[in-house]
Amino acid sequence: MFSPRTTKPTFKSYLPPVQTDGKTSIEPPIRKLEPTLLSGEIVVNEANFVKKCVSAEGSQEDLWGKLICTNFKVSFIPQDAPLKPKSQLSHLLLGEHDIPLTCLDQVVTVNDVKGKKKVLGSNQKLKFNPTELILYCKDLRVIRFCFSEAGPDSAKKVCLAIAHYSHPADIHLLFGFEYQGRRYHQAKEEGVSGSTQRGGLQTQRFDRPSDWDREIKRTGASEWRVCSINKKYKTSPSLPENIVVPVSMMDRELEDLAANFTDSRLPMWCWNHTNGSALVRMAVLNPLQQKKTEQKFFSAISKSHPQHTEILKVDLDKSLPNIQDIQSSFIKMKQICVLEPFEESEERWLSSIENSRWLEYVRAFLKYSAEVVYHLERKNVSVILQEEEDRDLNCVVSSLVQLMLDPHYRSLIGFQSLVQKEWVMAGHRFLDRCNHLKKNDKEESPLFLLFLDCVWQMMNQYPAAFEFTEAYLTVLSDSMWIPLFSTFLFNSPENRAQHLLEFAKSKAIPQGEDQAVFFPPVWEWAQQFSTKDQTLFNNPLYVGKGATRFQNGEVKTFTRSKKNYGSINQGAPSSVRNGVRGGEDTLSRRSSLMSELKPDLPTVKDESPSEHFFRDWFSRPADLQGLLIPQLLPSHLSLWKLYFLRWVPEACIAKGGPITAYHKLSLLMNEIEVLQNQLRQYNRTSMESASLSNQSGSLSERGRMYFRAISAEDPPVPPDFLTSSFPFSAVGNLCRRGSQGTPVSKFLNGAKTWLSTETLDDTV
Amino acid sequence: MPIRNKIGEMVENVRLLERSCGQRKPSVGTLYLSATHTIFVENNPETRKETWVPHSMVSGVERLPPSPTGSQLILRCKDFRVILVLIPQERDCVDIHASLARLSRPEKYSELYCLSFNPNVNKEQREESWAFVDLAADYRRMGVPNNLWVTTAANSEYRVCDTYPSELFVPKSATPAVIVGSSRFRSRGRFPVLSYFHQDTLAAVCRCSQPLSGFSGRCQEDEMMLQAVMKSNPGSDYIYVVDTRPKLNAMANRAAGKGYENEDHYTNIKLQFIGIENIHVMRSSQQKIVDVGEMRSPSMTDFLFGLENSGWLKHIKAILDAGVFIARAVADEGISVLVHCSDGWDRTAQACSVASLLLDPYYRTIRGLMVLIERDWVSFGHKFSHRYAHLDGDPKEVSPVLDQFLECAWQLSEQFPCAFEFNERFLIAVHSHIYSCQYGTFLGNCEKERRDLRLREHSHSVWPQLWKERSQFTNPLYQTDLSPSQGVLRPNTSPYCFKLWKGLYNHTEKSMPPRQSPADFLSTVREESKQLEEELTNQQERLTALTGKPITWEKVAVPRRRRRTDCQKHGGPDPPATTHGRLISGPDGQTDRKAPRKDPALTLPLRDTDDFSACSDLESGVADLSSRSSSGGDDNKEAELE
Repeated sequence: MFSPRTTKPTFKSYLPPVQTDGKTSIEPPIRKLEPTLLSGEIVVNEANFVKKCVSAEGSQEDLWGKLICTNFKVSFIPQDAPLKPKSQLSHLLLGEHDIPLTCLDQVVTVNDVKGKKKVLGSNQKLKFNPTELILYCKDLRVIRFCFSEAGPDSAKKVCLAIAHYSHPADIHLLFGFEYQGRRYHQAKEEGVSGSTQRGGLQTQRFDRPSDWDREIKRTGASEWRVCSINKKYKTSPSLPENIVVPVSMMDRELEDLAANFTDSRLPMWCWNHTNGSALVRMAVLNPLQQKKTEQKFFSAISKSHPQHTEILKVDLDKSLPNIQDIQSSFIKMKQICVLEPFEESEERWLSSIENSRWLEYVRAFLKYSAEVVYHLERKNVSVILQEEEDRDLNCVVSSLVQLMLDPHYRSLIGFQSLVQKEWVMAGHRFLDRCNHLKKNDKEESPLFLLFLDCVWQMMNQYPAAFEFTEAYLTVLSDSMWIPLFSTFLFNSPENRAQHLLEFAKSKAIPQGEDQAVFFPPVWEWAQQFSTKDQTLFNNPLYVGKGATRFQNGEVKTFTRSKKNYGSINQGAPSSVRNGVRGGEDTLSRRSSLMSELKPDLPTVKDESPSEHFFRDWFSRPADLQGLLIPQLLPSHLSLWKLYFLRWVPEACIAKGGPITAYHKLSLLMNEIEVLQNQLRQYNRTSMESASLSNQSGSLSERGRMYFRAISAEDPPVPPDFLTSSFPFSAVGNLCRRGSQGTPVSKFLNGAKTWLSTETLDDTV
Repeated sequence: MPIRNKIGEMVENVRLLERSCGQRKPSVGTLYLSATHTIFVENNPETRKETWVPHSMVSGVERLPPSPTGSQLILRCKDFRVILVLIPQERDCVDIHASLARLSRPEKYSELYCLSFNPNVNKEQREESWAFVDLAADYRRMGVPNNLWVTTAANSEYRVCDTYPSELFVPKSATPAVIVGSSRFRSRGRFPVLSYFHQDTLAAVCRCSQPLSGFSGRCQEDEMMLQAVMKSNPGSDYIYVVDTRPKLNAMANRAAGKGYENEDHYTNIKLQFIGIENIHVMRSSQQKIVDVGEMRSPSMTDFLFGLENSGWLKHIKAILDAGVFIARAVADEGISVLVHCSDGWDRTAQACSVASLLLDPYYRTIRGLMVLIERDWVSFGHKFSHRYAHLDGDPKEVSPVLDQFLECAWQLSEQFPCAFEFNERFLIAVHSHIYSCQYGTFLGNCEKERRDLRLREHSHSVWPQLWKERSQFTNPLYQTDLSPSQGVLRPNTSPYCFKLWKGLYNHTEKSMPPRQSPADFLSTVREESKQLEEELTNQQERLTALTGKPITWEKVAVPRRRRRTDCQKHGGPDPPATTHGRLISGPDGQTDRKAPRKDPALTLPLRDTDDFSACSDLESGVADLSSRSSSGGDDNKEAELE
């Protein structure tokens, strides 16, 4: 019997701990531990005989191997090849034990003998020999390495190297610049043009006027035009080169007025409702010029509305949490979900969640967005979202509003286009908010994650409305920490253009080459995942209109249902403050329970017009291809477990969780696909049109579903590896202090159970 | 629906607001008070919507001080609905209040709805309805009696224990003297008996009440009884005794001459306390969570604090933990477990039935859950009429014990969305019938009482009715082919995994059209696949006509993997002769046989072809069809599939 366990002692005894350079003395039976390197990736430092802790307190499952720091990642190569079958998404560029340097949040070295601990930055000295290295990752993993058997010197060196290389002095030191340069030239040599770009290309990037034109046409915004006064970013450094403005405004006028806005960020059109209302975003104005400038824009925007209705300006800064609030809330969530020992968070789980205020913020953003939807949809007025810089909260709200109103954005390609339009091109400071260079912690804030959580909440409430899955959202959030794609690396379109220009020059990339070819966006998923693994992004339930889509074979066209809610009696004039209620909800904590319970008949509680609108909308069956409003009672919001708890072993449900329903649904969908294919086959034989056979062959081969109904490797029962953390693994990715044992083993040890603190009258 | 009950009172121009449904505008109509229901009929001639509230569902009637617009009456229901009625005349309101207060608190069983409810069936049908759930068949299904567990006549005519059923299974080595001796040493005479026998490991789940040990008492027969339980599990050298109470409570009971087993007196037992709180704690906790569900516009803080402070989810967790402990012991360690609390009819019933749910996939079917409730709750003397306030009585006896079991099932189904044949609607339907008293199933406090009331002659069983409606109770995600050895559910009981059961406690949702659940969509998908299937059959028929040869490939039945009943268990007990027979001989064998046809997903031809070995991918499947259609060789296919 060759179990991996038995080799361990031998492995240790071979090699005395004093040995610092183990490389030369490795005996033949021991596998040579070579890192998998990407092109341009180099090993900076490494240490042998390192133990990766798999569970909290030194267990037999811990892995021994080599710890490597490259210019891209921290890599660990275990001595014993893994025995378990593949149970998670395999990344094409990263191994199971790899962490990109950009993903590191904190590098902490510990000497447990001396009781010392130090958080390492760039170019720092370490006065003690580390016995442990703990890596806190931005994707919430906590990875711990032990150096008990490694040479103290090499341990120290590798720690310092990791700390140093995870604090790049300059954006060009992010590995993507090296990698994509080489990749481009390799592809050129091999005569492949930019590899597989399907998904990448279908996603509109909004870096060309034509993308905006198409969007104007798609939404029927005939009174709006693409304007290129920001060509070469000469008007505003943070706006895209092309912005959409009212047709009634001339370029000259816009140029004159631009300076009155923060950062010269003119009002920028986002989206049009079929009723003519537009969604516009802008920064704040210089107070001296405010009145005059506003008047000009408001009247132009009003002119672009078919009914020339009033417009509504809402101030997001006043009613929503700011970026620091969001960041500190997220830090608390991290604390509760992954950092605190399980037993401590267990007892007061719900109040801890409450205390972080994360769900409250998620709800506030959804609620705010729903209010904006009410004004666009029901009140038929154009809405201007205003925020100090128009680069943070506006991104969240404008994209949520569009997700609720426009089913196009609930498709995969549509969603990616939305992120391009409202985040990447609108100048969300990804570089600062992600803190890729670890220069300024104050600028760091997980706004994009907050947005993804809001999307997840909607997905959770309307599981058939989105083409993509929560696995997709999670993988997308993880991609923020892989510096190989251009999407999340820059602060603004200008910032991007400038860096990519320099990059192209330095790598001898010919002028005029498409950015997406030499520095691809994250939407080119084939770079990260196999075609099969990408099918995990497909929602099997998204078939409500799949039938039509299937027949057309084309990208679906956007048909908005023209629902009229005309039956609603116009009540008293809107009492809404600044258009949006809900501010008070974010601010008021605990209201009295009793006051809530007072019966309130017959005086029906005053209901705001928007509440009335929502209630009316909820009282009808939802049209998933139309307007979608999230339910906003606190009980409707849940914790996004796949994101927050995927690494937490205590939260993992073996062979359970939503993924098992996904599995079953995938099988059923796959069966339908098979049946449809067979039908087509029959039709074809009867029609004798053999020429089509290839086409349909490739179609069925692609298969939309990750799990197949009829396939040798996929049995009809959920495979054993399915856990609620799938496609991620709750094993070995979270090493926190003293979390030992499951609740049941606690029982078996007769350990603590709840003792009654209440009545002892137990003789009933 | 015609209002055929005798109308007692009637008030016109009443305004009704079903607040728990999120309804905002009161509807105007007439309020009727019949012998069994409060009925509200809307005036609106188009809808004429009727709202019926059985008096037995009313948990409280409250009259508010009159206002200029009229007098308000609040009806609180046991299914957590809250109905507000505005009556123009104060006098009418006082009358209605007085009548309802009386009608909703019947003092005698004869006043209950089920004894007047007559769903138009004859005597035979009524008798059949009572035979629908056959507990003897369930014991046979789990393999008893056998050479380890046998029936005992000790309790015939309820001589030894009047709250137990007359049919009981005990260890083979337990003599009548041991049984009687043990029963004298247990609260209410509830001696250790079999609840569930696990064929795979031969370990058993047994139940009883607390021993009357006090601080030093002991009883030889009781010690022998526990020894016999252990001996009925060959190969094991101890049993677990699970006291589901918090240890402090159990210790307090010793002062009253009761308590728990002294490990010094009983050889080979391991005592384990679980810490499920008593019925009083649960009652007040439920009230708190109902309040949380009723909050009108709570903030996130109100909601999360309310949920945590109610303690409700913690209690549900404790019950599930008890079940998990028992299931682990039985399935993983192969050790038998004896479960008790104080009297062995509340927490014990919870722990045992949750354990069965975890251990045996059968209890996760619609019929299985009926059997389980009938066995661990109805037959073993859970005091339904006291706990669910069927009759006016001691409010301290009321407690949501079975509610909690149903919620455990719901929480489990949230963790394992494909493991249960039934959906949330089924659990909620059972919940409301427990309170409604429309059927006789849950009436009374034990089998003897039911017999004395001759309920089988005067009322109907609820199960056939629910079975008839099973199409709306079915979970389309149900994964039928979980093999029994994998069939043990291993839930996660960390607090992360518990949530508010909105379907039960958050009634505001109910007013809205059903939200988008995967299950609802699946029904659509099912429909779609059914159509495709039909089209396929049509095409095949056309093909048959063209080739002139009958094509039968779609009928090729790949033998499904056999279900557990046929597997031979290792050594152990003699399999009872009937194991291979029909598991349940229900009265409606007819509907039973019809079931598969009603269920399109189960008849999908491709569903059964998991070992379609020739078609390991989609392509070859297609290729097969075309090649076969030209050659017409079905026989090859048959051979390939073997």
